[in-house]
Amino acid sequence: MKDLWRGLRAILVKDIAVELRARQVLPTMVVLGMLIVFILRMASESGSASAGAPVMGAAALWIAFLFSGLLAQERSFASEQQNGCIDGLLLAPLDVGTIYLAKLLANVIVLTIFEAIVVPIVMMSFNLHVAGGWLGLAIVLLLGNVGISSIGTLFSAAVQLTRTRGSLLSIVVLVILMPMMIPASFALLVLFGAMPDHAAGSSPFAFVGSFHAAVGYMLAFDAVFVVACWLLFGIVVEE
Amino acid sequence: MRRLLFALAFVLLIVSTWIGLTEGQIVPVARNILYVHVPNSVCALLCFVVLLAASIGYLTTGRQAWDLAAVASAEVGFVFATILNATGMLFSRAEWNIWWTPSPRLVTSAILWFLYAVYLILRVSLPGSRHRNARICAVFGILAFLDVPLVFVSARFIPDIHRPSFSLDSAWQTAALMLGMAGTALLAGALIWLRTSLLRGSLSLEEELLH
Amino acid sequence: MALSVCSIRKAYGTRPVLRNVDLAVPGGQAVCLFGINGAGKSTLLRIVAGLLRPDGGDVTINEHDVRKHPEAAKQQLGMISHASMAYPELTVHENLTFAARLYGVPNRMERIEELLAGTELAPFRHDRAAILSRGLLQRLAIARALLHRPTVLLADEPFTGLDAGASDRLLAIFDRFVRDGGSILMTTHDTRMGVRCCQRVAVLDKGVLILDAMKDQIDSDRFADDYLSYARSKS
Repeated sequence: MKDLWRGLRAILVKDIAVELRARQVLPTMVVLGMLIVFILRMASESGSASAGAPVMGAAALWIAFLFSGLLAQERSFASEQQNGCIDGLLLAPLDVGTIYLAKLLANVIVLTIFEAIVVPIVMMSFNLHVAGGWLGLAIVLLLGNVGISSIGTLFSAAVQLTRTRGSLLSIVVLVILMPMMIPASFALLVLFGAMPDHAAGSSPFAFVGSFHAAVGYMLAFDAVFVVACWLLFGIVVEE
Repeated sequence: MRRLLFALAFVLLIVSTWIGLTEGQIVPVARNILYVHVPNSVCALLCFVVLLAASIGYLTTGRQAWDLAAVASAEVGFVFATILNATGMLFSRAEWNIWWTPSPRLVTSAILWFLYAVYLILRVSLPGSRHRNARICAVFGILAFLDVPLVFVSARFIPDIHRPSFSLDSAWQTAALMLGMAGTALLAGALIWLRTSLLRGSLSLEEELLH
Repeated sequence: MALSVCSIRKAYGTRPVLRNVDLAVPGGQAVCLFGINGAGKSTLLRIVAGLLRPDGGDVTINEHDVRKHPEAAKQQLGMISHASMAYPELTVHENLTFAARLYGVPNRMERIEELLAGTELAPFRHDRAAILSRGLLQRLAIARALLHRPTVLLADEPFTGLDAGASDRLLAIFDRFVRDGGSILMTTHDTRMGVRCCQRVAVLDKGVLILDAMKDQIDSDRFADDYLSYARSKS
């Protein structure tokens, strides 16, 4: 257990140090995110803009999050491609799953920094108010973050290490992430006050309209995919 | 053996169609597309189960036959998923006058189609050794299968504005539908089998030419 | 037996690369593996390091099977390959610190200083790996490989691209490593250097070991010439 933590910490610290030195991905992500928000804001400036603002705002947030999030995933193994560094990791007396968890954490951290910068920008552009509470928003964003990072880290190793176009990674991550986007969008709409939250009063499967069910779903989704990707990572990173 | 499967499948489909056109006709006429839509949706899912089994088989044994079966089931499943979506849209247009709406059924069908499409693209686009690519596709196959129940559950978050308000009244209709499903399932199995051996054939030809 | 390679088989598709390779290296011995390009040398080394999975056979390092107890086996293994495994954005010292953490090296700082001195990298400790020359990167790779005091060292063409001074330095390091009881398995094209630093030579041809003999059992000069003409005839 202590070994796991030691290896994980070493890789995590190294990844963040490399990212801070290279200073490439985070600025690109933030600028991309801002551009997307800007474009969507301009695109929605037609007719009753204020009425549709929460809906457009939620959409803008997720779209910016997804596309910038994909950039974040691409960086996971970019640094390992040079100088055969991935071999350096694979030679070490570490369980392969530890590499996955370390990279996953690094991605989650980078994406969280991104969210901290861009989400307020989205809120300001669309004049949104968080009706459902900031904690709720933070939880939803974190769960979405873990979701995209769990799948992205795995496939980044699969696709990146063979030097393909990033678009391949994008379609793979997006298609698997798709089911989570439904309750995620819904949760955001409730938070921004565009949709009322019908607490699960009736049957436990009356998901329509329940914020708690949406968050519960995202949690379950994340749990399934973090575990599955962690287990399958060894297969994908092997030569 | 395979020819027998094909023959049986076609017989069942013909009988099912015949019943559907005569005694088992649903009113109004457009609804009869269900006879195509429902079997296809079952088969699109069945092919996914085969894809999962083949992916796991390949990862555990490393034998190429499993990998080829995975590709075959993805291709056949893709065809069924395409028909599924197309007939779904036609039905939706006929019943409610809209081509598409985010209703649970249509969303589920769409994501299923996407999963197959991405699998096939991965198959073709990954560079690197054949074995590594096969392994990566197998991993995707497993994750995609895990996705499917999650898709069904997530679809429940969408308010189902249009609830399908039909039921099969007569025994003839039920019979037609059951026969249709059995026939399509057999067809799917036979097609996957055929495609797998075709792939194996072309692969061994390729290897012979290279030596 | 420090390093034991048993019946290793590897094929890429239908093309066999390694056919039942057996090799046992005791402690305190350096083995040099020769072979033309495509003979399977790098593949064998990668399998021994646990980076590649063989189709059959096993590799044990000090009685730990590389596939069954990878962590125990890898703790005793160091590898120097073509690539330096150094992160360009990090400095020499930071790269070594990272490797030390990965291997759980005790008294990390002192050990790093020891190796920086031993490879004469101390003046470059705060230079980023991106600006280092090939020779310096090679020295960093060596320091990294020896950091955790492995008992088995793998070296894939370590003399390639080194000038005379660097080659001599590397030779000295290898000598000391073997004298301290370590085992080395290296591949090289340089017959002169290979024969100089190893006690045992082996030749791999199309995945089969066609020669495996102690240096004193063969005529070293003749071996160098014979091997060169053999290599030329194959290309």
